[in-house]
This record gives sequence, C-alpha cells and structure tokens, in this order.
Amino acid sequence: MTSIGTGYDLQNSVFSPDGRNFQVEYAVKAVENGGTCIGIRCKNGIILATEKIITSKLLRPGANRRIATVDRNIGVVSAGLVPDGRHFVSRARDEASSWRSTYKAPIPVKALAGRLGSYVQAYTLYSSVRPFGITAIVGGWDTDAETKVDGQVGIGPAVGSGGKVDGAKKGGPGLYMIEPSGLYWGYYGAATGKGRQAAKAELEKLDLSSGTLELEAGVMEAARIIYVAHEDSKDKDFELEMSWVSSVDGPTKGRHEQVPSSLLEEAERRAKKAMEGEDEETGSGEGEKMEE
Amino acid sequence: MASSLIADPTSSSHNLYSFSPSDQTASDIRQHSFYPYTDNGGSTLGITGNDFAILAGDTRSTSGYSINSRYAPKVYRIGGEDETGEGAHIVLSLVGYAADGTALQERLNTVVKMYKYQHGKRMTVKACAQRLATILYSKRFFPYYVQAILAGLDEDGRGALYSYDPVGSYEREQCRAAGAAASLIMPFLDNQVNFKNQYMPGSGEGHDLHAKQAEPLPRQEVERLVKDAFTSATERHIEVGDGLQMLIVTAKGVEETFYPLKRD
Amino acid sequence: MNHLPQAWGRPRDDIYGHYDPSHLQTAGPNAHTQQPIVTGTSVLAVKFKDGIVIAADNLASYGSLARFTHVHRLRPFNDRALVGFGGDISDMQYLDRLLNSLDVNENYGSPGHVLNAQNLHTYLSKVMYKRRSDMNPLWNSMLVVGLDGDDKPFLSSVDLLGTTFSSPTLATGFGGHLAQPLLRKLADDESQVKDVTREKAVAAVQECMKVLFYRDARSLDSYSIAVITKEGGVELKEDEQLEGQSWAFADTIRGYGTQVN
Repeated sequence: MTSIGTGYDLQNSVFSPDGRNFQVEYAVKAVENGGTCIGIRCKNGIILATEKIITSKLLRPGANRRIATVDRNIGVVSAGLVPDGRHFVSRARDEASSWRSTYKAPIPVKALAGRLGSYVQAYTLYSSVRPFGITAIVGGWDTDAETKVDGQVGIGPAVGSGGKVDGAKKGGPGLYMIEPSGLYWGYYGAATGKGRQAAKAELEKLDLSSGTLELEAGVMEAARIIYVAHEDSKDKDFELEMSWVSSVDGPTKGRHEQVPSSLLEEAERRAKKAMEGEDEETGSGEGEKMEE
Repeated sequence: MASSLIADPTSSSHNLYSFSPSDQTASDIRQHSFYPYTDNGGSTLGITGNDFAILAGDTRSTSGYSINSRYAPKVYRIGGEDETGEGAHIVLSLVGYAADGTALQERLNTVVKMYKYQHGKRMTVKACAQRLATILYSKRFFPYYVQAILAGLDEDGRGALYSYDPVGSYEREQCRAAGAAASLIMPFLDNQVNFKNQYMPGSGEGHDLHAKQAEPLPRQEVERLVKDAFTSATERHIEVGDGLQMLIVTAKGVEETFYPLKRD
Repeated sequence: MNHLPQAWGRPRDDIYGHYDPSHLQTAGPNAHTQQPIVTGTSVLAVKFKDGIVIAADNLASYGSLARFTHVHRLRPFNDRALVGFGGDISDMQYLDRLLNSLDVNENYGSPGHVLNAQNLHTYLSKVMYKRRSDMNPLWNSMLVVGLDGDDKPFLSSVDLLGTTFSSPTLATGFGGHLAQPLLRKLADDESQVKDVTREKAVAAVQECMKVLFYRDARSLDSYSIAVITKEGGVELKEDEQLEGQSWAFADTIRGYGTQVN
C-alpha cells in the first residue's frame, strides 16, 4: 500500500478508481501501531492476551484494563485506538443484552462476531463517520452443558418431545477477529497490532487446528508469544494482560475471567526465561516487518 | 343452535358480534383492582422541651393481625453524614404505609444533605419543615400515606416540633401523637403536657377556677411520659408493642434510646 | 360470504354468547396486572448462627388447580445471595431475568466485586416500589437471603407494595400465619440467633413445610431448600420430598368428608 490517495482518501465511503477505500486502509495503519493482541483457541477454552504499552510511569500497574468482558462468557481485546475499542465493547455488550432479551439465552460467540462485523462495516459506508481504528479479537465459550433459558423455572418434559436431539454437538470455543473494514473470520489463533507478524509465526508453530492444546499450556504459550512480539519495541515498557474462558467444568466454569495472578506470574517467568534462551541460541529470526 | 349456524350473518344487525364500540358502556371499562396502599400500624409521638425535642415510635410492623417484624424503626435521623445518620440534627417519624415512609424519609434526607452541600450550612428545622410540606403536597393526588412528625431545635435552640397530615398541611406544636394509637395517646398528652382539664387548687369556685398554665417540661419528665404513653398504648392497641425507640435532639446532637415493650 | 370484515373470525353472540367488548379495547385505559394468575405459595426462611435457611415448595397453582409441579421458586443470584419468590410466577420470571442482567452489568464495572444480599434487597425494593407507584405492580412477595456487606447472615422481605421488613425468621403468604409462629420459637429476637445451629434451623424449616403441606391447600410435598453460609456459599437442593408425614389426624376430622357419623 504505497500509493497515495490523490484525493480519493479525503472522504470515507468513497472508492478510488482501483477499488480501494483509503479511509479504511488508514484505519488499518492505526491498528498496526497498537499493542500486540492475540487470541488462542484451545481444546477446552480460549485465551486472550495483550501487550499493554506503558505510556506513563504514573499509571497504576494492573489498572486500565484492555481486555473486556461481554455477557459472562466472552472476552474482547482490541489493538488500535483505545477509545474506539471501548465503544466497540459497549456495542458488543448492548448486542449481548439485546440477544438475551430476545432469546432468553447468552449470545453465541459466532453470532456476536457477526453482529459486530456488520456494525463495524457500517462505519465504512457513510461520509459522516470514520471507520473503527481497531482490530478486535472476540473469544468465548458457548456452553455445552445442559442449561435452562433465562427465567426458566420448570424442568421441562421428562418424556416425550423435549426438543432435544441425541448426540447433537453444541457449544465449544469460538474465536473471531474483526478488522476495520468489517471483515471477520473465525480463527484457531489470531494476532493483531504491532507485533502481529512475529506472533502469527509463533501461533502457526502451535498446531492449533488439531485442537489438542490444553488451556494451561496455552496460557504459557500466549505469554511467551506476547514477549516474542514485544522484541521489536523493546525500548517501551509493557504489561502483560491475559484472560481466559474455559468450559463449564474447567477452571473458569464457563466465565470470561482474568488469568489468576499466580498463573500469570508463572507464565511471565517462563516467557522471560524462554526469551533469554532464545538470545543465546540464535539472533531471533523475525526482525523485519513483512508486508501483508 | 343448528339453525343459528346456517343463518346468514350479513342479514342480521351488527349486534350479532361483540365488537362494536357502541356496545361499550361505562361499566365495560375494567377498573384496577389493585390498591396501592396498606397500613403497617404502630404509633409515634413527639414532645418538645426548652432545649430538647423527643421523637418516639414503637418498632412493631404489622399487616392486618400479623406481626411482620418486631424491629422495624419508624423514627429517622435526617441530614446525617452517612447511612448511620451520624451528625444529623433533625429527626423525623413516619407512621402509616411503611413503603411510602421509607421513600419519603430517603427523599427528605437527600434534600437536607443537598442543602448543606450547596449552601455550606445546616438547614434549619423551620426550613426543613416547610420543605417537607412541599414534598408531601407535590403528591397531593397520589399521597404518601403517612402521618409525619418532624423535630429538632429552632434558631433559638428551643425544641421545635412540626406535625403533618398526609398531603402536607402542618403546624408547629408542643406535642403530637400519630398513628394507630394516636387517639389513645393524644388525650393523655393534652392532660399531661398541656395540662388540659387541670386547675390550680383553691383558685376559685366553678368558672372562677384558674387553669393550670402549661410550661415546657424537663427532659426526664418527658421521657417518663413517653414510656407511660407507649406502655399504655401497648396494653390497649394490638398494633402497638415490641419495642420503644426514642430519638432525643439536644444541642449536643441526637441520642437514641430503646426500651422493650410487651410482645403480645 | 360475510361482508363485515370486522366480524371475520369473531365469535357470534347467538352461538357463543356475549363477549365482553372491553377486552377488545385498543383505546382507553391501559390495563395493568390486576391479579396474579399462576401463583406460588409461601416462602420460609430462618437465620442461624452463621448462615440462613430458606425453603419454598415446587408448586405453581392456577387458581385452585395444581398446574405446575416442578417449579423452582428459589432463585440464586450469586454465591452469597438468593431470592425466594411467592406470588405470580410470570412476574417471578421477569424479575429473575432482571436480576440476571443486573449481575451481568455489575460485572462490567468492577470484575470481582459482587453485590451482596443487602444490595440485592435494596435494588428489589426500589423496583417493587416503583412498579406499585406506577399502578403496575409485580405481584410477588419475596424473601431476600444471603450475606450482607460484613458477611453476616441477611434476611429481609419485599412485596408488591414495596413494603420491606426484616426479622430473624420470616414467612410469606400462608406461612406468615402458620409457619412464622412456629419459627419464632427458634429465634424471636436477633439476640437469639447465635444459639440457633444449622441443624436446628433446617429441621424447623422442614417441619414448617410439613405443617404447610397439611393445611395449605395450594402447597406441595416436593420442595426446594437452600442453606447459605460464608464457607459453603449457596447450597441449593431443588427436588426435596417431605419426610415423616403423618395423616393420622385426618381420621379425627369430622364434618368435611364423606363419613356419615
């Protein structure tokens, strides 16, 4: 993306003759400068992690969290303009709440990603708005347990038609990434922000598509990947922020929560150790940024 | 029946069907059967002295013949600094419909606090009394179903007490009883506080008898009267009992006392 | 062909009788809830030394018909608060959803900070008072139980008028007449709560559920019971069966049955 707008970049929603929307591409630039965010889809849950760049020593460690919860079982993290991220989360919460009032059940991650994709896309259509300066990773666990609809008081029929299909698979982990254009895909592992290339390279090594990575092991990997991705912006201090969602019988009981501090510290310790080891072996491979 | 099934509906008048607005009469409009009030019983009483004011109330809450709770206070501190009412200088008692009582108490409390935040000084009892009347009257057509008594010390440091009807009519008085046993306690107060029907011995015969002049009573005497009033009301009124709570306003602040009453 | 389109699909008066046209009004006064439809009966609760017991049967009645027999009227809010509902079941479901969304929203603000039973009671009482003031009541009486801000046992009630009160033992509906006097033998005063053990409290509540089943015609012998303590959180059992019933007294009743003498 080297060509300049030549006038076609001054207004949102306007195509250039070669079919590009420059405002959206500029929004992507904002994302590419944001702190790295990753999401990992594990066998029994989802992990979200972000490299929170410390912009001032006067900020209280642990405060101003970047990973937000939507409903109870979904986490959202975004790279790019922080206020845009907040608005995005606010919309996600409204969508989740409206879904609940219609369907009396939590919104599936897939449906939420769809609604948010449409929302973000709408901001590419009008001259009166600008696109979102974020790429968001949305991850959660749709419950696979037998659950009642909201407000259900009875037990349902013991025999006869109960609307249940034997052996039907339902629930499980969901991980989606939504870009400023409104484009979204489901991922095994997602990365965005400044260190995304390094992070993607590391994620690809994990063989996530086999669906074998355990949640606890994923936490260790996530921490390490954020540290690897931070290599390029070593001059800046950062804080590792991490959250996870497990199945109902897992450590978070189906809820999206911060990774407990003991586990987080352990993961950070190991990540730092791995980084030291890497420095001794090679000179760290992913130095140059590649063009997407 | 069979013949009516094959009857041509078009030939008959629209009265065949119950949809025409003209069918409607005033009595067809269904009315609410929900009654938004209840009476939670109990009684309250306030008496003022030279340099103090006492507000008292029993702590029983009732619904019909049932006792809801033996400890549901109906005397409140107004204008305190925290939820305990610490630092309050005005007291309020509300008897009647308890939910309205709670709502009204919260509202007046907020007003008195806001007054202090905005003006940097405590609201006088006189101003608070007028404000309470305004609040009550603002709901003139859906009233707070309570009898209120407000007490504190006036600008001269003397006991001040104001009593209200549910829609905000009020006056300053020496003493007042309200609630279920008001009709039992008030005549007792007339006699013992305002010395009604008491005459100076040997002051004359017949119409020449001089009435005993009322004067503010000392605090101990007033506390004794309050206890007597409530023990007697507990004997004679089923909605009164369980506990007697008193809030006493003096220049030092608000003191609280509690005496058990019969729980039958 | 009937040429009165307004009449299509309408019951004919000559066949079905007159239909109260006020039901068809589109203008005019708005009808709000005027009576409960499907209802739950009493809820009982007792404080004990370090917690609280609450119970309600699993019946939802439609008038005098025992309509639904597996209805759970104890609704846990979180691990330190629970609401027991009496009265209209659909309003209970509405409130259950309302509390659910309250919990979700509360978690957005400060994760980890949870509303305690006292907070929940304040919230519910404001909802109920607002609705009664709008002349559109939620037809319930509830007991809110759990732990307060100091982790002490909490028990308080709210009803459709927004009336609230608290006591060491509470019972709604019929239980207010039958169970409350029995429960007060256990603890009539806050000072007596420290002498009530969990076992005693549970036994007393179970005994009261039995008494209510004997005498309340809108009750059921299958019930839910929950114990809330700081250590154990909410321990809820929703499919309990009344034990040790004795209907021997029924033999001695004369004048209601079919017996001759």
